[in-house]
Amino acid sequence: MKRKLVLLALLFAVFTVKAQEKESLNLYTDRDLYVSGETLLLKVFTPASEQSGIVNIDLMNRKGKKITGVILEIINHQADGFVYLPDSLSSGFYLLSTYTRTDEMLTSKELYIANRFTGLPESNTDMKPVGVVALKESSVQNLQIGGVQKQYKPRQKGLATLQLPAELIAQLDGDLSVSIAGKTDEFSSQQFLLKSTSAVSPSLAKEGIVIEGIITDIKTAKPFNNAVVYLSIPDSIPGFQYFITAQDGHFYFEIEKYYGKIPVVIQCFAKEKSSSLKITLFDRNNLKSTMPAFEPRTFTPEFRKSVSNATDAITFRKIFNQQEVTIQPAPIIKRDAYPYYGIPTKTIDPQLFIDLPDFNEISKELLPGVKFRNYNRIPTLQVFNAAQQFYFNDQPLLLLDGIPIRDLNVIKDMGTKDIDKVEICQNERFYGDLIFPGVVAIYTSKADYTRVPESNDLIKLSLEVIQPHAVVNAPSEQRLNEPDLRQVLLWKPSLQPTPKMELDFQTSDIKGSFKLIIHGKTRDGSTFYKEQIFEVN
Amino acid sequence: MANRILYIVFIFGLLAATSLKAQEKLPKKWTAEKIKGTRRIPYASYSGSPFLNDKFATGEIEFQDGTKKDSLVLRYSSYRDEIIYYNAAISAQIIIDKISLKGFSFTDENGIKRVFRHQYYNGFFPGERYFEVLSDGDIALLVYRKVVLQICPPYNDKAGNLKNMSYQQAYNYYLYNDKKGYELIRLNRNSLLSNFDKLTQKSIKKILRKNKVQVTDESTFVIAWNLLKENGITVNF
Repeated sequence: MKRKLVLLALLFAVFTVKAQEKESLNLYTDRDLYVSGETLLLKVFTPASEQSGIVNIDLMNRKGKKITGVILEIINHQADGFVYLPDSLSSGFYLLSTYTRTDEMLTSKELYIANRFTGLPESNTDMKPVGVVALKESSVQNLQIGGVQKQYKPRQKGLATLQLPAELIAQLDGDLSVSIAGKTDEFSSQQFLLKSTSAVSPSLAKEGIVIEGIITDIKTAKPFNNAVVYLSIPDSIPGFQYFITAQDGHFYFEIEKYYGKIPVVIQCFAKEKSSSLKITLFDRNNLKSTMPAFEPRTFTPEFRKSVSNATDAITFRKIFNQQEVTIQPAPIIKRDAYPYYGIPTKTIDPQLFIDLPDFNEISKELLPGVKFRNYNRIPTLQVFNAAQQFYFNDQPLLLLDGIPIRDLNVIKDMGTKDIDKVEICQNERFYGDLIFPGVVAIYTSKADYTRVPESNDLIKLSLEVIQPHAVVNAPSEQRLNEPDLRQVLLWKPSLQPTPKMELDFQTSDIKGSFKLIIHGKTRDGSTFYKEQIFEVN
Repeated sequence: MANRILYIVFIFGLLAATSLKAQEKLPKKWTAEKIKGTRRIPYASYSGSPFLNDKFATGEIEFQDGTKKDSLVLRYSSYRDEIIYYNAAISAQIIIDKISLKGFSFTDENGIKRVFRHQYYNGFFPGERYFEVLSDGDIALLVYRKVVLQICPPYNDKAGNLKNMSYQQAYNYYLYNDKKGYELIRLNRNSLLSNFDKLTQKSIKKILRKNKVQVTDESTFVIAWNLLKENGITVNF
């Protein structure tokens, strides 16, 4: 019986450990050594079991502080993008990390970034991480690279052919990533795992970034139950979501399928007007991790030379305004056919009429069924209920460029010149569990929503959401008299595998070693690579 | 032997529990699409019913993007061609915006599932309509369950008021194909047969006779229609 129990306990332990094992993300960059002001290109492979639709990329300094970051969309278990390395970065080692919101582990990669104005430290030493265990990656044998010469001349065209046997194609999970970029013998880095020290979010980012926070009562500083939180995205057809908080005061929003930088307004209110609330946002897109140990490293003269050459190259590229990547237009996402507040009963363009000085006059003269009054300097707004032939007692939903506002003083001074159009819904509208006793939606001429004042219960954000797709610029045929100082000769992060693939590239004016490297992932979750090195001189 | 089996079952149970525990619990999606609509205003009271189902029935709606919301309490207004749902959280009967829906379905009092599709009708009185799907396929059999308010012989309602209007059914049945559009049909044998050539009509008559189907009303028309589909007979449409 004792033996059976021991066996049982052992089995339990083994399976617990086994169940907790999780495939990690894999992170690849075009190079390992960068100069500030350059663009870092990256590729991420995600596990097939990954349920998040987006992946975060953070550039952190040695102290674990986030410098910059991007959010990439996962398509077919892969994501690719770029990170602009700020000009202000000081020379040193940095960590590039990738993670999803529900991951406890961050896949990180060590990079060296030299400041292009100050160069390497005069002390000739810096720190490097130690004690990290690199993620395993094996070289694949049956992938053949052909057509690549050992030596090329500057600006020479080349053709590489990749031959994939059918059994390898059958094993592949998604596309291949192929790059040809400058190689620095003195410095190379590998990816490794770091454990997050931040609380992992319980909410999953399925198709976009998640905004979360807490509503607290200013008087008691305790979480507020039953607060209504609005998230608005000003647009021609404004985006809108709401959340009613529970006892913990937490709220969540997912901004689905928005690309680039978008304005977002978050506001909250209590059903009892006496309560004053405060919104605090959580930054769960900035995971803190346990940083590895560091030890001093001395630079070799070759490393110093590589940095110097790279600095010259990027400086000339800046002078000649040669952009490394071109951002593609964001995909057109079919959103709501009509605003969340309904198809307007009436749409009025005040600029088609005589100039009126304020909203009181505009409502009286131009807006049917809208009663805006400013008796004793207390403005009131009512909308006519066309179905039941009376004015609603309650204040309607008032929107300024798609942002709900409750303070009527914001609009009272708006004249004809300030307003592009006014949409009116003369019926009781419902959106989920929200009731709007009529709607007045004002779209301003400037559409900059600066009139909406920020406060404890209203936050305006300019939010970086999913990074749009970008392509690496090819050398321009029209600018032959300019130096071609590309460090990256080819970057195809999502190459659909076929039995034979041909890759055209052209060397730049930069001399030295270049590496053609192919990364891929198989269905069993393991990653592989194949590389070939050539010289340009 | 029994002990050993119990022991194995226990181990498997334990392993299953361990694996389940290790799997991360996914939170409920909090960003489900919200229903948009307006408050329903009561209709004038006359004899007959403006609704297809007088009592609210449990059903689901499908939004234009294909997402579905189920366990809703629904009622179809034949008079206004509107789907109404009862929002218990705010105690309101809400007319769901037609433009936001692809369709809806509910199970009526008789336990029959009624499936409706939102389509554009390009015939007389064109516009967006809900059609009930009696039989789906390349050529679908649809019905527009319209109820109209018509003048009728005077009568006294429950309150003793004299009235001369009543809600009356004016259902229209159509054959529908995505490319060819709508064709109005009547619920009788001749109307059914008129959609086939002479030779096919003979075999249809034979099938109907064999299955003892007399096409006289909606249910028998649907039975006949489905029999033809089963026998591989397609309409000249």
